[in-house]
Amino acid sequence: MRGEGKIPFFLTARYLLHGNKWTLGLIIFLMAVAFVNLIFVASLFNGIIDNSNKQIINTYTGHVFITPAEGQDFLDHTDILLPQIENIPGVKAASAQMLVSASLKYKNIKGNWQILAIDPQLEKQVTNVSEKMLAGEYLAQDDLDKIIVGRQIAGGPDVEMNAFSFKGAQVGEKVVLAFDGIQKEFTIKGIFYTKFLDTDQRAFITAQALEALAPSLKSKATSVVIRAQKTGEEAGIVQALKVQNIAGQYLTWEDAAGLMSSVTTSFLSINFIMSFVAVLIAAVTIFIVIYIDISSKRQQIGILRAIGIRPYLIRATYVLQTLIYSVSGVALGLAIFFGGVAPYFKAHPFELPIGDSVLMVEALDINIRILAIIVVAVLSGLIPAFMITRIKILDAIWGK
Amino acid sequence: MSAANRLIEVKNICKNYALGEIQVPALREVSLVINPGDFLVITGRNGSGKSTLLRQLGLLDKPDTGEIFLANQPTTKMNELERSRLRLLKLGYIFQEYALIAELSALENVMLPAMMLEKTKICQKRALETLAKVGLEKKARNLPRQLSGGEQQKVAIARALINDPMILFADEPTANLDSVAAKDILNIFKKLNSEKHTVVMITHEPEETKYANRLVKLADGKIV
Repeated sequence: MRGEGKIPFFLTARYLLHGNKWTLGLIIFLMAVAFVNLIFVASLFNGIIDNSNKQIINTYTGHVFITPAEGQDFLDHTDILLPQIENIPGVKAASAQMLVSASLKYKNIKGNWQILAIDPQLEKQVTNVSEKMLAGEYLAQDDLDKIIVGRQIAGGPDVEMNAFSFKGAQVGEKVVLAFDGIQKEFTIKGIFYTKFLDTDQRAFITAQALEALAPSLKSKATSVVIRAQKTGEEAGIVQALKVQNIAGQYLTWEDAAGLMSSVTTSFLSINFIMSFVAVLIAAVTIFIVIYIDISSKRQQIGILRAIGIRPYLIRATYVLQTLIYSVSGVALGLAIFFGGVAPYFKAHPFELPIGDSVLMVEALDINIRILAIIVVAVLSGLIPAFMITRIKILDAIWGK
Repeated sequence: MSAANRLIEVKNICKNYALGEIQVPALREVSLVINPGDFLVITGRNGSGKSTLLRQLGLLDKPDTGEIFLANQPTTKMNELERSRLRLLKLGYIFQEYALIAELSALENVMLPAMMLEKTKICQKRALETLAKVGLEKKARNLPRQLSGGEQQKVAIARALINDPMILFADEPTANLDSVAAKDILNIFKKLNSEKHTVVMITHEPEETKYANRLVKLADGKIV
């Protein structure tokens, strides 16, 4: 019939204008809360995973990590190897690391930790440990008797691994490094705290200091850490290393992540399950609220049918209403999330053993969740409206 | 009146209601003819079946058996869409409890059925004219909650009239009104009938039967 298409818009506008504002506000607020909950769960896990990845890259493995070829103990001729690697397109910097089979002794406490000999200048270009000094300073190129240790080695009353640490070693104090039958005293020049547990259980000396102890290890490394110009170029760099026939095993940070990789995989699974549950809870909650809202309008629907308004127009009216509820709820939810929740957790990040995690949300995640809320809301409007427009008019009017 | 001119012809309709497992007869073999210009009043005690009969006539419900012809068209086999179209174009129904949409103003309540057929501006103009017929043009912008019972019933009458139906059904339209408002409403029906509108009204107030030019009395679901 001519003009009947405007009926849903007309009725919806009037219901919103003259209907109960509290009910309208509560429904939109509920949609917003359901939406925030959906994004929060995903963004929390995204933040943890992203932070874990960044910590691995920035403090531990770089983007690509080279280890000696099978059967070899060392990567040789690092003085030739590093410039060769740095010339590969996409590579920003490379640094050789020598894992020292040594023990450290502080007062009466002795222990084995990963002690790495590095070129401080090159290392600064591939990892950010130099920026994470909790006390003291980072190594200088010519430090021959200085060592920097991670917070988990230095220890202290509020340190997580204090039981297995020096239990409070300070900058300026001495430690003895025992290596290959040689003992040498080093002064703690700095204590770093990356908040990534594996890195904070490491200690660094300069390559020059190691060469002074063991000249035969000059220009040798147990690993080369490569920093890419940006994340995502790892595969290209590995391919280029293969083409240039550079000796060694090439691992991307994901390959080298080891335990963190399985943790990340678990987080992805947990994220999926929790997001699914959150969608389900949001769906059920929204469905119940909209169902009750529309069911309370049975009499109205009955009247509309009695005066000859076609059932599909009545259904369209309630679908349009729920569409407006859900779009408004999503808009409010986005405002709450980006205006309040995300900035709050940026200022007060979650403190985890892998580092401080903030909420991180991707456009695709948001779009999927917006769609989920809108589809659920529209179905929640359509189903009861469909049911009520199918029952007898008089039953609808009398609320049976 | 020849058969071709009959507005409504009811043939042997029966309607039962289920009360648990028991079927309670509300209408038993009712037959009736309504002609153009009638002011037919249906009376009877509570439970006599008068409201049930009116709902069948207004196509709000279907009889279990029998047939209702509207302008010689059988209606019981029609689907909901066809019945909906007839309610919109041919019938006007006035409920005892007014049945207005709370979120729409008096004007909007009245213009709503017309909006199915015409542009909004035309509907507004017609709705205002119809409200004027029942003396309520000054309260066109008021919401139902801002109107008295009598005024709400006038809005309901205007809504029933907006698409110029061939017959008006009124289900105890004065039951919830005081005597002054009730008289006012009945006078509107009388006036509408004098303007050639066919009116079918239910009442159980004996004094209201004087407005009728035809009277039907129901008892135990049968015309007596």
